[in-house]
Amino acid sequence: MGERVYGFNGVSPSAGKPGRKRYAMVIDLRRCTGCNACTASCKTAYDVPLGESRIWLMEAEVGEFPNTKRNVLPRLCNQCDQPSCIRNCPTKATFKHPDGFVLQRYNRCIGCRTCMVACPYNARHFLPEHRRDPRNPRNVADKCDFCIVRVTRGLAPICVDSCTGGAMIFGDMNDPESEVSRVFLENKTFTLRPEQGNAPQVFYIGLNEQIADPEFAFHHRSAQLHARYNTFKRNSEVGGEMAGNIIDTDMGFFGLVRQALRNYKTFFKDAPHKIFRGLF
Amino acid sequence: MEGQIIANGFHHAYWGFPIATYFWLVGASAGSFVISTLGWVFGVKKYKPTAFFASNMAIALLMIVPLILIIDLGKPFRFFHLLMLPSFSHWSAPMIWGSCFILSYPVGMMFYSYFVYKKNEKWARILGILAVVLALCTHWYTGVVIQLNPSRLPNHASVAPILFLTGAYVSGIGLLNILLWIRNRFVGPKSQVSSGLIADMARLMLYGIVFDLFLLWNEFLQMTYGLGEEHTMLYDVLLGPFRWPYFYLEIIWGLVIPLIILIIPKINRQLFWVLLASFMCATGVYGMRIWWVMASFYYQGHY
Repeated sequence: MGERVYGFNGVSPSAGKPGRKRYAMVIDLRRCTGCNACTASCKTAYDVPLGESRIWLMEAEVGEFPNTKRNVLPRLCNQCDQPSCIRNCPTKATFKHPDGFVLQRYNRCIGCRTCMVACPYNARHFLPEHRRDPRNPRNVADKCDFCIVRVTRGLAPICVDSCTGGAMIFGDMNDPESEVSRVFLENKTFTLRPEQGNAPQVFYIGLNEQIADPEFAFHHRSAQLHARYNTFKRNSEVGGEMAGNIIDTDMGFFGLVRQALRNYKTFFKDAPHKIFRGLF
Repeated sequence: MEGQIIANGFHHAYWGFPIATYFWLVGASAGSFVISTLGWVFGVKKYKPTAFFASNMAIALLMIVPLILIIDLGKPFRFFHLLMLPSFSHWSAPMIWGSCFILSYPVGMMFYSYFVYKKNEKWARILGILAVVLALCTHWYTGVVIQLNPSRLPNHASVAPILFLTGAYVSGIGLLNILLWIRNRFVGPKSQVSSGLIADMARLMLYGIVFDLFLLWNEFLQMTYGLGEEHTMLYDVLLGPFRWPYFYLEIIWGLVIPLIILIIPKINRQLFWVLLASFMCATGVYGMRIWWVMASFYYQGHY
């Protein structure tokens, strides 16, 4: 274990250093079938709350019948080498492990959600007050940690283990013999939002604008999907946590007032639970 | 947002109405404190009668701020993690800078208020300079917290802190005008603030309004040169879900109508119209805080 990295560093702390690991992931989109096994296994393993995901799948359909294609894109924390979340975290609750993981310390996090605002990949989420297992952390930010608990014990991350198509390849980039290095060198790889300058360590093979460019992929908005989103936001306690919940169909003047009042209601309703939970 | 919907990952907007209110309160506080220091620090004698009230108003507004911020934290009792410099806190995070400002700014204001009350010219001036710098820094940092997020399209612009400060200036004067008028109803004629002075302050507000509109124009002009995401953002902020806070509440109600009121020579010194313009400005800036905080979180869901 070396020193943790908190700030704007420039390069991966373990890049090219012999004896050090530099974990990265290559996702071969040509082999991804969009089966969601990674999402399901991750949610099960880590008790990820309703409405949030550590790994999730974006899907976009292009073309007209019969010439159609469904593009899928597994999304997870990119374990960036220059992570905005770490730069913006005020309490050093999140840091870069020298082996490449970007990790979260729940005991240090104050739940200010700056990291979630800073993350260009939407990879962070907030753990709600009510957890399935009450011993699990709550009211703090959480993220994908490349399954450090499994990786340090010699296992692959659970999404990689459960991938039915063998699309996800995980390993040590410092080891030229590893599968991930070989695949990385032999294929043209892309990262998401390279213009953000975060140096992501999740590489995609076969990424194209049909899925990676949201404007291209989701140009035709589906009214049905929006209705689902809004229904979820209206009904779910999880969606209403922390008073930042917007129902996008209700943004007229009175809708705005209604949403503000509702958000303040959750804000004040949550307050005593957050403050006095240890006392009763 | 479609990405979230399709992926079944309904990540919510992280900062909501409470944070928008916090920005508005800090802004109004900073704006009214700038007016408070005009007389004692910058030597504009006619604003001296407003100084004590404006400074106290700034302190009162700033007292609400830590309550909102701390309650909004997921772990309110860990707020002291922000203050444990240099061992614990992270210097590169703008929120740390802000914590220092928010702590020191009201203290500076309180000392300034005390010396204004004692009519101690020298120390009021010294502490006024200190506190007005802290006031500007406190609000500058709220802009920076929003600005230093590279993926938030409209916010990641160097104009953001200046826009925040201008909004603060405008809303601070607006709120101060309203409260001075209310105060006039309860104090004797000797300590009342004349309506001429209120109109003069509205004149100062007018300059802020013009500058604010100019900055917004620049901000959105830049976005017309963006990629698809910028265009979506521009369209939906102007005409989509955020048209009420942004277009109607901020631009029309908060800036354009007060601008029209304050440039018509016949009515721009009449108390009713001046107070109406002040009220519109003070409330309109809240619309800016809402869309500035929440709109970009709404669009981030693409990714």
